[in-house]
Amino acid sequence: MSQREGNKVDLQSHSSASSFPHLEAKIRQTHSLARLLTSYAEQLLQEYVQHQGDPFGLPSFSPPGLPVPGLNSPAPTRSGLPTLERLQLDAAALNSLSPLLDTICHLQADLNPFACRLLRRLEDASHQSRALGSAVEVVLGVLGAAPGPPGPHPILPESPGVFLVKLLGYRVCGLYHEWVCCTEGDLDQLMQEGLG
Amino acid sequence: MEAYFYSRLLSKTGGNKRMSSSKFQWLSSIIFLYLVNQAHGQSRGVPHDLNCITHNLKVWDCSWEALPTINHGTYEICVINSSYPCIRTEKTHFEIPALTFADHEIKINSIHVSGNSVIKFILNERNVSLVPATLQDFNLTADFSTSTLYLKWNDNGSVFPSHSSVIWEIIVQYKEKMEVATVATLNTTLIGKDSVHHWNWTSDIPLECTPHYVKIRYYIDELHFFGQKEWSEWSPLRNISGPPVKENYEVFPRDKVVPVGSNMTFCCVVGEPVLSAQFGKESYSFIRLDRRSVAIKINNITVSPSSGTNVVFTTKSNLYGTVVFAGYPPDIPRKLNCETRDLKEITCSWNAGRPTGFFGPRGTNYILYERFSGRNVTYGRAEEHMNAIHQLIFQMITGQEIYNFTLEANNPLGRSEAVILVNITQRVCPHTPSKLIAKDINSTAIFLYWHLSGNFANINLLCEIEINATYSGQELRNITVRGLETSSYHVYMDKLMPYTMYTFRVRCSSENFWKWSKWSNEKHYLTTEGIPSKGPDIWREWRADGKSVIIYWKPLSLNEANGKILSYNVSYWSEEKTRYLSEIPDSQHKAEIKLDKNDDSDYIISVVAKNSAGSSPPSKITSMEIPNEDIKVEQIVGIGNGILFHWNYDPNMTCDYVIKWCNSTRSEPCLTDWKKFPANSTGALVEYDNFRSGTRYNFFLYGCKNQKYQLLRSILGYTEELAPSVAPNFTVEDTSSDSILVKWEDIPVEDLRGFLRGYLFYFEKGEKGTSKIQGLESGRSDVKVKNITDITQKTLRIVDLQGKTGYHLLLQAYTGGGIGPGKSMYVVTKENSEGLIIAILIPVAVAIFVGVVTSILCYRKREWIKETFYPDIPNPENSKALQFHKSICEGSSTLKTLEMNPCTPNNVEVVETRSVAPKIEEDTEIKSPVTDGPEEGSDAEPENHVVVSYCPPIIEEEIANAGGEEAGSSSQVIYIDIQSMYQPQAKPEEELENHLVGGAGYKPQMHLPVTSTIENIITADDLEKTAGYRPQTNVNAWNLDSPDSPRSIDSNSEIASFGSPCSINSRQFLIPPKDEESPKSSNGGWSFTNFFQNKPND
Repeated sequence: MSQREGNKVDLQSHSSASSFPHLEAKIRQTHSLARLLTSYAEQLLQEYVQHQGDPFGLPSFSPPGLPVPGLNSPAPTRSGLPTLERLQLDAAALNSLSPLLDTICHLQADLNPFACRLLRRLEDASHQSRALGSAVEVVLGVLGAAPGPPGPHPILPESPGVFLVKLLGYRVCGLYHEWVCCTEGDLDQLMQEGLG
Repeated sequence: MEAYFYSRLLSKTGGNKRMSSSKFQWLSSIIFLYLVNQAHGQSRGVPHDLNCITHNLKVWDCSWEALPTINHGTYEICVINSSYPCIRTEKTHFEIPALTFADHEIKINSIHVSGNSVIKFILNERNVSLVPATLQDFNLTADFSTSTLYLKWNDNGSVFPSHSSVIWEIIVQYKEKMEVATVATLNTTLIGKDSVHHWNWTSDIPLECTPHYVKIRYYIDELHFFGQKEWSEWSPLRNISGPPVKENYEVFPRDKVVPVGSNMTFCCVVGEPVLSAQFGKESYSFIRLDRRSVAIKINNITVSPSSGTNVVFTTKSNLYGTVVFAGYPPDIPRKLNCETRDLKEITCSWNAGRPTGFFGPRGTNYILYERFSGRNVTYGRAEEHMNAIHQLIFQMITGQEIYNFTLEANNPLGRSEAVILVNITQRVCPHTPSKLIAKDINSTAIFLYWHLSGNFANINLLCEIEINATYSGQELRNITVRGLETSSYHVYMDKLMPYTMYTFRVRCSSENFWKWSKWSNEKHYLTTEGIPSKGPDIWREWRADGKSVIIYWKPLSLNEANGKILSYNVSYWSEEKTRYLSEIPDSQHKAEIKLDKNDDSDYIISVVAKNSAGSSPPSKITSMEIPNEDIKVEQIVGIGNGILFHWNYDPNMTCDYVIKWCNSTRSEPCLTDWKKFPANSTGALVEYDNFRSGTRYNFFLYGCKNQKYQLLRSILGYTEELAPSVAPNFTVEDTSSDSILVKWEDIPVEDLRGFLRGYLFYFEKGEKGTSKIQGLESGRSDVKVKNITDITQKTLRIVDLQGKTGYHLLLQAYTGGGIGPGKSMYVVTKENSEGLIIAILIPVAVAIFVGVVTSILCYRKREWIKETFYPDIPNPENSKALQFHKSICEGSSTLKTLEMNPCTPNNVEVVETRSVAPKIEEDTEIKSPVTDGPEEGSDAEPENHVVVSYCPPIIEEEIANAGGEEAGSSSQVIYIDIQSMYQPQAKPEEELENHLVGGAGYKPQMHLPVTSTIENIITADDLEKTAGYRPQTNVNAWNLDSPDSPRSIDSNSEIASFGSPCSINSRQFLIPPKDEESPKSSNGGWSFTNFFQNKPND
């Protein structure tokens, strides 16, 4: 039994009999959205590195994770948290990622004004991140778990230099992918616990 | 004096180093004396080595050397014969105002405990050195973005005379090792007051990479100073250190924009070892600048991608980088053009030229500046596309027509500009006209309206109207209209065709043409109907029975009908009366009128077409034709889809010519179509879409005299001939042993598809089913062909054929269009019996004739033959076997051999074995006819039985006396099957054996070693059984190679026979010697001898 399985959520207890199918559908819908966005996030990352020049596109390229104030990678220790708390973290991170992605989109518009697909993917990712965060919050609300307090607004350094902009974009796209993956896993866990 | 002397010398030596070498020895002596004096003076503690310098040409600073022991003393320095007061000092130097340019005696009195000493120096300006003061105050700054050092200092020129030249020397050092980065010199001129000078230098290495140090000194070249001029001391080092290394700012330069082809150095300042350096995808080896800094140098940088080229340094734990943007400065804007569409705004467009390679914030900015008005508009972040058209809109200024535009392009690497001066009223390209409307006036005229926005009140517009009609093609009309302020324009359009669908569109320009606007949208408009412009084209045909005439007319073309034809009115009249047919609808284009052709009345028939606007002029034709008896049917072949007719000019033809035609295979009335041609024409090309190749048409040419038509010619024609589509149907009417009669039928006209030119008849000998005649391979010698060009011929007799022989026949017809398919047939000629008979009889007759002639010749030459072929043979009287013959025949004057009666015949059977024919030495000239036969016969006929009947005169006793078994067994000689001599067919060995075994008649006693088979057959036992004659001659002693022997012909053939193994005795019986007394016996074969012997006796 994994550590996740130790924090089961009883969906029946969190919803009335009539609203349970609705909750179930909502969770499934959110899970589907998270799974879809996971694949989109992979595509975004691939598209992103293609437009940053070498060595970004090289398979060996693996820069250290730049710190983004206000937003970190999903912590390894979060697996010990209850599912709902993890989802609260997911929602907060996804909401924080949306403005970050907007910023990256604007920065990339200066660097790659003709990379229409990349810019569109970044713009879409911003919207989709916000949408997924909201959807998770709705699920949390139905389950009676209030969304966590909003984290500090991520701040990017001023005039960081083009190389740092590229690295930050890479980092933000990576964070987006990580958090969407986590959200998908957490929703999957929620479904296994509550619906299975 | 000594000091003076030496000082003067010194001053000379120090101040003027241009001592000639010729005085070297003398100078060496002086130096030696000087050194002695020095030692002496020091020993006494007096000043020496007076040295004077000046920093500003106003004060001389002099110093001297002295022993330390006297340093605690006091010196009094006096300038002799000078107004300057003496100076007392405890130091070994003093300052005095600059002295005039002359020798001045300086007396230095050393006052000390041990006593005073005075020493004098002669001081001149020449002995004074000008050493400028060290530059202490200068300002050093740096622009890290450009890696440029800026140096600023004051030349302190106020203390020096003006116009003095100053040389500044600046050294920049870098790295911790203080390597010299650059050395620069700068020349300035002093202007009598303090001046600030600037110097800057751009480093190849970013200033952040390593500390840079700067020091400066200078040299004043004052022309009026005669002393020694020296460089100042170096200023104190000033250093420029990079900004404190912040997080993530470790690689320099940062986000640099450089021209393509630049050489750049990038450095990474970190506290940990750098493992690798990478520029784009290429790795570079790095240069260590100092402990914390490494660099890579990139030469000839190529254009960067949109997001720049990454420069990355990798350490064990981190990755540091920067981006460089390499591109081009903006190209000069090309094809700059300014024009207006509405005289309100000026649109300037241009081509950016060569792409800069920069995008976004580094892209090219454009500024359009108008000089007269001083106004400008900007255009930023131009998209970079080769040949992309950029444009800026400039609002026109009221009352200003001349504009002087300057377009400036700039980016981080530079700027460029293009200029254009325009009179905007001559650069008008109006907007696209819109709202095109047509309003009709009548069937041939309309008003055309359109809308055009723009302030054209002060100019005239030139507009072009394109008119398209389906049947009249395209027409362009240009009009000039007075310009208006955003208004609608209209124009009168006439000379249109009624009831025609027109398509209009408009474009405009200014009267001073610059460019057309775009075409407006198309406007489709149908003009109203007008009356038909002419009557229909008519023709008439009489029915075959002559009881009615059919009037035909063709529909009017659209430009003739001028509207939709509703109906036709047909009327006819003669001198007496006029009649009208009921109105005929448009769909019908013929009408039948009951008239009698035999009636002499000639009617005029009229047809009128009507539409909603009115009726057409009438078309008229008379009912009767002018007769023409002299009509011949001609043939004509067309050219492709048409047929060209010619006729002679006939002045009597006053109306026109008409050619009508019909398909010749169609039934009456013959009319497919007709065409009319002017009366003065002499030919016409009749083209008709429905003409078909290979179809025969009847053409009739009519001429018109006084409104009456006369048939002039009747012509059969094809537009194009084709080969016949079917084969002529032919049959074989008759065959004989050497000929075939073929008959064929005509091909129907529909299948002929051209004028028949003839037939091709092929015939070929061969068996049934093997003919290749269908291929009609030309040049095949075995295929014969007859070209029948007489098309009336319907039969053909083929002669000289062989009897009872099969022939392939093929018949094809051909026209001018080619050869049609063929019909083939196989025929066998009859047998030729007479020939066969003749063929048999002639050889037989010849054979008989030859035989007779041969017999006659042989008979006549029998003696010669005998002598030749049957020479005498040895007397066989010694032969025991023939003794009886001698006794019998002795005393007889006449041979009785052939006397048959009275004779009791005995039988002597002569058995001939050719293969074992003995060769008797004495009989070498015997030639048997058998030898002339095939040698195979010798093989195949080992034995012949010949029984000769003869009559022995004395019998029993003699025979008995002859003793032996032979006598007992051969009481008769019988010749049997004499023909077998000449039929040397082979017999099976068994048969041969049987004959041998069964035969009990005469047999030669010779035994020839011919073949083992025969040898075996004739065994001793068998011979005993066959009690007959045997020669006692030793066979082995026979010479088989006698030259006269036939055997010699083929000496190798052991079975060759040289004659019958006949009994020598028997020849005496059969061929009696001519000379009876001669015992010579004639030789010869059995048969011939027999023949020849008997003949004379007959």
